[in-house]
Amino acid sequence: MKIFSDREPIVALASPWGESAIAVLRISGEGSHSLLERVFKGSKKPVNVPGHTLVRGTLCGAGTNQSIDDVLLAVYKSPASYTGEEAAEIFCHGSLAVIKAALELLTVNGFRPANPGEFTLRAFMNKKMDLTRAEAVNEIIRSRTDKARALALNRLNGSIETQINEIKDRVTTMVSALEVQLDYPEEETENDFDFIKEAGDAKQRIERLLSTYSAGRIIQEGISMVLAGRTNAGKSTLFNLLVKEDRAIVSDVHGTTRDYIEGAISVEGIPVRLFDTAGLRISEEPLEREGMKRTRNLISGASILIYIVDATQGLTTEDEEFMARYRDKVKIIIVYNKIDVHPEGCPENGVPVSALSGKGLDLLNKTIVMTAIGTSAPDASEAVIDSIRQKECLSNAGRGLDDFMEGIKGHMPLDVLAVCLKDTVDALGELTGEVTSEEILEKMFSKFCVGK
Amino acid sequence: MTMDFDAIVIGGGHAGIEAALALSRLNFKTLLITQNLDCIGKMSCNPAIGGLAKGNLVREIDALGGQMARLIDATMIQYRLLNESKGPAVQAPRAQADMYEYACLARWVMEKQAGLELFQDTATDFLLNSRGDEIRGVVTERGKSFTCRTAVLTTGTFMEAKIFIGNYTAVSGRIGEPAAMGLGPNLSKMGFTLGRLKTGTPARVLKSSLHFDRMTLQEGDKAMIPFSYFNDSIERPSVPCHITHTTEETHKIIRDNIHLSPLYGGKITGIGPRYCPSIEDKVMRFPERQRHQVFVEPEGLQSEEMYLNGISSSLPEDVQEKFLRTVPGFEDMVIMKPGYAVEYDYVDPTQLSPSLETKRVQGLFIAGQTNGTSGYEEAAAQGLMAGINAAMKMQGKEPLILSRAEAYAGVLIDDLVTRGTKEPYRLFTSRAEYRLSLRHDACDMRLFEKAMAVGLHGEEAAERLKNKKNTLEEIKTLLAERKIKTGDAQKIGQLKSHTGESLAVALKDPLVQIKNLGIICDTLNGRDPRHLKQVELDIKYEGYIKRQEEQIKRFERLESLKIPEEFNYDTVTGLSTESREKLKKIRPVSLGQASRISGVRPADISLLLVYLRNPCKQV
Repeated sequence: MKIFSDREPIVALASPWGESAIAVLRISGEGSHSLLERVFKGSKKPVNVPGHTLVRGTLCGAGTNQSIDDVLLAVYKSPASYTGEEAAEIFCHGSLAVIKAALELLTVNGFRPANPGEFTLRAFMNKKMDLTRAEAVNEIIRSRTDKARALALNRLNGSIETQINEIKDRVTTMVSALEVQLDYPEEETENDFDFIKEAGDAKQRIERLLSTYSAGRIIQEGISMVLAGRTNAGKSTLFNLLVKEDRAIVSDVHGTTRDYIEGAISVEGIPVRLFDTAGLRISEEPLEREGMKRTRNLISGASILIYIVDATQGLTTEDEEFMARYRDKVKIIIVYNKIDVHPEGCPENGVPVSALSGKGLDLLNKTIVMTAIGTSAPDASEAVIDSIRQKECLSNAGRGLDDFMEGIKGHMPLDVLAVCLKDTVDALGELTGEVTSEEILEKMFSKFCVGK
Repeated sequence: MTMDFDAIVIGGGHAGIEAALALSRLNFKTLLITQNLDCIGKMSCNPAIGGLAKGNLVREIDALGGQMARLIDATMIQYRLLNESKGPAVQAPRAQADMYEYACLARWVMEKQAGLELFQDTATDFLLNSRGDEIRGVVTERGKSFTCRTAVLTTGTFMEAKIFIGNYTAVSGRIGEPAAMGLGPNLSKMGFTLGRLKTGTPARVLKSSLHFDRMTLQEGDKAMIPFSYFNDSIERPSVPCHITHTTEETHKIIRDNIHLSPLYGGKITGIGPRYCPSIEDKVMRFPERQRHQVFVEPEGLQSEEMYLNGISSSLPEDVQEKFLRTVPGFEDMVIMKPGYAVEYDYVDPTQLSPSLETKRVQGLFIAGQTNGTSGYEEAAAQGLMAGINAAMKMQGKEPLILSRAEAYAGVLIDDLVTRGTKEPYRLFTSRAEYRLSLRHDACDMRLFEKAMAVGLHGEEAAERLKNKKNTLEEIKTLLAERKIKTGDAQKIGQLKSHTGESLAVALKDPLVQIKNLGIICDTLNGRDPRHLKQVELDIKYEGYIKRQEEQIKRFERLESLKIPEEFNYDTVTGLSTESREKLKKIRPVSLGQASRISGVRPADISLLLVYLRNPCKQV
């Protein structure tokens, strides 16, 4: 595709997506140094320093002076860089918020998010790889067919490939049934092929695969979850239970937690950033009010809000009013705590928990998973798609089938509708790497992680 | 007599006619050598031109400056648009020909063509340069040596041919006509790979001996629509065909006598066409079928000979007579010519470049059935392209190579030179990936300009193309501006749900047809039905056509990546051995063509892509 000819500036996270001390963003492409000036304010301009220089500065939005992070910039000049192009690496602090903000800032300011393997591909195209390396690349290309593509399709686990091939078989059968009708109109061709049913079946399978995308994505990237509720409902106790250590200070005094506390946990395989927040009550105390303001901000940015109700007191109008404010912004799980004291205190729509004894934790975890991905957690053997590319291919394949079915219902002739099926077959072929085109090269390099 | 020519065309069949006319029209002094001048343009098999995909080819030939469409327009005795009720991609024109008039006219056109000489003799060998890699001339049976700069070989079914009827065999290319001997072995000596193919033809019977009342009548369309973009109308008599079918009794006789078939007795080794099987094949291969259709087609206005389409056979004559009489309507039938099979030499077409020039001998072009195809239209299209490209070569210009996305002729030639063929190759609609763009109604829009650039079309074509484009625009504007009123829906029921919309929008409804709109929109009346039809298809399938155009863009990316002629595949480390051998044999002109060679793996294409973009010189 266009990546062969274009040298436009690209950016990608080179370190893993997750919390760490330092994260590295990689940049490459013609004009990327001058482009960097829009967002990097440092002691020196990247265009003015020699290659292999570190410059300290801040990342901040063009025009605004709102700083995102204090960073180190490693400047590389062409051709002495990994890709052979003008390039740079940004070392920033490794919080997800910073990484996200930095990537966003760079994309808004002219850097295109890199495709998987694009840095290596550019390096290769710019002859930065010697013959040995080129041969290694060769090996990768060859493995597509030689080793049953298992290696080459490492992002696609085997079960996905099987599923896609099954879908493709069905579509190919449809195509051939259709072609027969094109060329032998005078013969008594069998007209009983149910195109709508076949297309519908294939579409359903594609949909099923597509639905695993959000799950795959969530499992990869995780979610954030905020504990909220009135003071003394037991948020901190639940927090400690979930993070499995005594992090939050627990006391009977209302308003003990002023600021939020953050913890990383895993709920049935899903990485969760968990926030314990200041309890909600009317308070004149500035510190506590600030805490509550922060709580509200956190909730607005979270995927799930766990609202904790003291089962001994039940749901109050105050609780309901609070939740009503967020119902559109965030998924809410209502937990009725202290059921050890008041076992009958939890209505149908709530999750009964005793944060103190740990009772009900299992059900809570399951509820969290269901709420996050809309289904129970996929088990290891199940096919899950997790890349945007896969998702787009599947969506395109699905769209072809949709248009095909719509056309049949609208009495469009089959020869015309074959165009839609071709789109589907092409999209599925692209997914499994059978397409003989430039895309395959891109795909071959896509086996590298983005940023490498 | 003159012995020196720019170009020599060997063979006077449908390929030879086009090649010779194209070369001489492009001002090259051309000689056509044929075994029998009285057999020029003969229809060896069914007396019809066109059909699915083939009808498109005929129009393409016309748009590219060829002769076939004009020949059939002048000699048709029935016209039908096939599949009119189906989609635009599978609609195709087909005409019954008066085959005698057709051949006669073909010969006359050639006789009158300036710069073209016709000569009756049999070519037996070639004159080459000392290295044996460039054409210099042609040697004939009667010992003549003609010189030339280019030659087009179009031997059809005649090279080393043999016909079979039961036990009877004869060295013939067509019944009653001797085969062309000598050329095959000489081509082998020159290093070409040849193979054997077979084809067959049915019995011809006496019209007055048939009971047409026991068959189904099949009339042509009311209006005859010209194949040629240069004809505006056709006034010709229309003669019906008839349809009947074989019976269980027919099949039993064939089964009982199958051991007498030269095909099943092992006499014929050549491979026959799978899609156009003999009746023996149909009966043996599809035992569950209780009947097979037989079309009774007239061969000419002044002939009583009738062609029995769908029932070709090489069984002994008495067996043919016996089984034919079991077909309803054939009870008292009298055979005039028996059915027979013919086996002949063909040249493996992967030895050709997409220009149809052989890779081995410069200046030698091969076209038609010699390349393993079947069908007059396939032959003519190749003949025309070979003729054009021989001329381009002599003019020192790039060859005209049509892509798979712009012509069925492109699909045909690309298939042949890239993948070769093991059986007689016939063009199908389904062989083309981009059918919506290959519609028969718009060949002029796609190809006129190419023929103008080559020099086969002039002012008239330019004028016609301009007028047509204007007319189509005019009709489209008309349809877009005319809103449907309540009164309209009373006249045309299908418009009811479209009240308030424009006619253009309503036409997207499959039930609304442009040919019915004249009642409410008088400005549509009196227009060329071809133009109306084309606008209708453009509008009706607009979204799908656009979609296909996107697919074509993707396809063209690899097509546009040319592989240099001298590219050394041995320098590409990592190519699989099989791919390397295939690539060296076919020598594809583009990465796109390379990707279609069977046995070349996608991975190797990727690898080539890298090398072509970024050549790593071996140290």
